[in-house]
Amino acid sequence: VCTSRFWFNYRHVANTLSVYRSVKRLGIPDSHIVLMLADDMACNPRNPKPATVFSHKNMELNVYGDDVEVDYRSYEVTVENFLRVLTGRIPPSTPRSKRLLSDDRSNILIYMTGHGGNGFLKFQDSEEITNVELADAFEQMWQKRRYNELLFIIDTCQGASMYERFYSPNIMALASSQVGEDSLSHQPDLGIGVHLMDRYTFYVLEFLEEIHPASQTNMNDLFQVCPKSLCVSTPGHRTDLFQRDPQKVLITDFFGSVRKVEITTETLSLDRDVAGFKSQFPEEELATEPLKYAEQLPVAQIIHQKPKQKDWHPPGGFILGLWALIIMVFFKTYGIKHMKHVF
Amino acid sequence: MAAPLVLVVLAAVTVRAALYRSSLAVFIAERVEVASPLNAWKRVVEGLALLDLGVSPYSGAIFHETPLIIYLFHFLIEYAELVFMITDVLTAVALYLAIQDFNKVVFKKQKLLIELDKYAPDVAELIQTPMEMHYIPLKVALFYLLNPYTVMSCVAKSTCAINNSVIAFFILATIKGSAFLSAVFLALATYQSLYPLTLFAPALLYLLQRQFIPVKLKSKSFWLYTLQYASLYLCSLVVIICLSFFLLNSWDFIPSVYGFILSVPDLTPNIGLFWYFFAEMFEHFSLFFVCVFQINVFFYTIPLAIKLKEHPVFFMFVQLAIISIFKSYPTLGDVALYMAFLPVWSHLYRFLRNIFILSCVLIFCSFLFPVLWHLWIYAGSANSNFYYAITLTFNIGQILLISDYFYAFLRREYYLTHGLHLTRQDGTEAMLVLK
Repeated sequence: VCTSRFWFNYRHVANTLSVYRSVKRLGIPDSHIVLMLADDMACNPRNPKPATVFSHKNMELNVYGDDVEVDYRSYEVTVENFLRVLTGRIPPSTPRSKRLLSDDRSNILIYMTGHGGNGFLKFQDSEEITNVELADAFEQMWQKRRYNELLFIIDTCQGASMYERFYSPNIMALASSQVGEDSLSHQPDLGIGVHLMDRYTFYVLEFLEEIHPASQTNMNDLFQVCPKSLCVSTPGHRTDLFQRDPQKVLITDFFGSVRKVEITTETLSLDRDVAGFKSQFPEEELATEPLKYAEQLPVAQIIHQKPKQKDWHPPGGFILGLWALIIMVFFKTYGIKHMKHVF
Repeated sequence: MAAPLVLVVLAAVTVRAALYRSSLAVFIAERVEVASPLNAWKRVVEGLALLDLGVSPYSGAIFHETPLIIYLFHFLIEYAELVFMITDVLTAVALYLAIQDFNKVVFKKQKLLIELDKYAPDVAELIQTPMEMHYIPLKVALFYLLNPYTVMSCVAKSTCAINNSVIAFFILATIKGSAFLSAVFLALATYQSLYPLTLFAPALLYLLQRQFIPVKLKSKSFWLYTLQYASLYLCSLVVIICLSFFLLNSWDFIPSVYGFILSVPDLTPNIGLFWYFFAEMFEHFSLFFVCVFQINVFFYTIPLAIKLKEHPVFFMFVQLAIISIFKSYPTLGDVALYMAFLPVWSHLYRFLRNIFILSCVLIFCSFLFPVLWHLWIYAGSANSNFYYAITLTFNIGQILLISDYFYAFLRREYYLTHGLHLTRQDGTEAMLVLK
């Protein structure tokens, strides 16, 4: 998500597009990426090289290209839309490309950049999202089982304040600067006239260039990226909500889409394996310890829970009274002599 | 006579069953002409569902049926279609028996008046004979069962059918002469929708006639009988209302049912006159106009009672028609009830002046209702004025029908006593004018 617009915020768009490119390179398809940009750089009248967005003056890498798929562009990048994408509360007419179609086995990477402050991030120069809102949105995602693990990276001034309020499990967060510090941009390009990238993202991208789908680099290495000497600001990270050890978390778990494929030439008998799988699942379910943030019911139980049906019955007195009246009317009209037929 | 009736009943049941199974059932159930906020089936189902969830059905502004209907449908909701078919059949049978008895009464009275020489000498062609009156009850049952309005009402499962059947039983009880039963059924009918209260006067007049008590204000037996009948009626009404209290242990139903009928808060379009007026009226005046409109329904009883005190059953017919035209939420089921009585006065045919125009107006309006509804709501190229115009025309047609029959009836009565060839004082032919 790039939350700024206007020509002088070129670097934010370049940041986002570079991360987008890396993530695509590592295997995540466009259908699994929600890209929110103001998208006013490439065709901006001030762009000396139209239809391009460059990320590094020496690399001259055009991160815009022909196959960028922007899902929310220009004025659609609002706090409301962002929160709706996260929580899934989207009007039914929204196309699939604009939805975050995640479930409880999905790992989600959220990268945000723009202008921020202590506890807020500015969206499009007219509104803000606060860290509390963001934390609540993540909690909603957790309650609705919309993620398995979530990596949140933010590259703004005082970015660490944005992850202070998270309280949902399985979230890891990285920020480019601590509270009270500014994130600085990397270098200007004299031909284009603006700064092309931010420092933190630049070094993160350098780091990501060495990652390929089979690499075993883990999160601890990512935390070391951009020390104070290079970045001037102090990057921060937060792993206390995360249940696995960051040492064991691969970069490709979030940045890439790595399928574990095992090719075999033998034939497998499925009956045996199904039984095997069945016995595996209850163990897996039991292995996750009960979460202390809420008493979580399995989703199936939540869906099928209905209020207990108490059938209403007319009170006995009413029925008695009504039928007594009816019988009285009947006998009044037809005479008592019929009583002997009844009894 | 039973066999043709059974045939008619079978035909009617077949038609209704066929329509229930077809796809038209859903379409008809949503039509506003047959389903008003008072008697739509959707609302009954909703009320019962609310009750199952533990909430009083009167708590929202959806359910406006009486507690006895709740009790009836609580057990019969799966057999709803059967219930409505049986109700229609019962109504038709009740009307059949009632008209059979009424014919006997008319014939006896006619014979008495002929023997007493009350009729003018040249009115032989106006006297009703048993031959032509033989098929009238069957025709009444036929008119009721196979009337497209009734069929649509039944397929829409509108509780108007239950209302009609209670009124039909009331008419049967009145004509058979049982004051007690007629008071009970009238109380039930009033309890369900407020307007049959006006049928008290014709029933009273008929029962007085049967007891040979003349209607004179000074006569003590007249007041005694009136008091008896009125107290029977009021007692049964009070008993039924108190009984309904015990169903839900609350008096909620009184504002929901009677307050709703009288104050007309829901302005869903229907075939009546209220909705359009109150949709565009300022709040300031709405109370005044509600009172005016409601008085309009009850008001005609008194002049009609004075004019038609010798002919209470015709009075009942006219009163039914007035109720179904001027009530706050009329539906086609109400129209069908009084139209069932038209064969009883088929001998007035020669005196009806506007019958061709009237039937054309009524038929065309019935066809135009769904057309203009579609244009207004779905196509968006018309607006409520169009639909209201058709409503107005339909009601004007109905009013003309009633006034035509009224005129024809009175004219026949005049001819019976004064002879067919009227002459003025100077010997030229005279015309009767209804002033």
